Amino acid sequence: MKLQVQLFGPFRDFQPQALLELDVADGANVAAAREALAAHAASHWPACTPGLLRSTAFASESALLRDGDALPADGRIAVIPPVNGG
Amino acid sequence: MDTVDISAIRALVAAPRDAALDPARALEFVTHEEFGGQALFVGRVRRHNHGRDVVAVEYDLFEPLVRTTFEALAREAFADIAPELRVYVAHTHGRLEVGDIAVVVAAGSRHRDEAFRACRAVIEGVKHRAPIWKREHYVDGSSEWSEGCSLCGHKA
Repeated sequence: MKLQVQLFGPFRDFQPQALLELDVADGANVAAAREALAAHAASHWPACTPGLLRSTAFASESALLRDGDALPADGRIAVIPPVNGG
Repeated sequence: MDTVDISAIRALVAAPRDAALDPARALEFVTHEEFGGQALFVGRVRRHNHGRDVVAVEYDLFEPLVRTTFEALAREAFADIAPELRVYVAHTHGRLEVGDIAVVVAAGSRHRDEAFRACRAVIEGVKHRAPIWKREHYVDGSSEWSEGCSLCGHKA
């Protein structure tokens, strides 16, 4: 399936568009999205560090997702790097 | 204590300097004739951070999940602190100048202790759990995304 990945915070510096498309297997879980993002980062984003990828969570519009969770059926997810509001 | 439901939540994302960030509006929302206590937190952009001169701050946020998270934080305050509370939380996005308001949290309750605790719990949650990112712009023209809290492994 194709994932529409919304980029936030420091990920916005890695490419001009805030939306990234990634391919994962049908029925894949969030861990597969994490692996696909890491592979994309390794080949396209030299400034993206392993530490940032490790500390980044994923979310749908309504909830944080754990690595074992199914991906949203609509294929829309957000990358959530470490947060610092307020 | 009566069983009247006087709890309520207002969770907002607003443009810089929008009226939603007016502390008076936040206090008005948490006002109730049964409540004798109100607590207010206002977060503004400050001039210096870690020894560097800040000229502006830029907030990026994932708006739908920010609102969901703010509502969850308020519901947790109802469960953990007092079932009868009114909670107002508003955060801005985009570019702010020094002195601009970034966040407003207000809590109203029957007594002061619950109001202080609810206000503190909600602002701590805003800082540590809401999908919001801050980039500081410095006087020398450089900018940096601030260090943050990882949400990996955090409860959904």
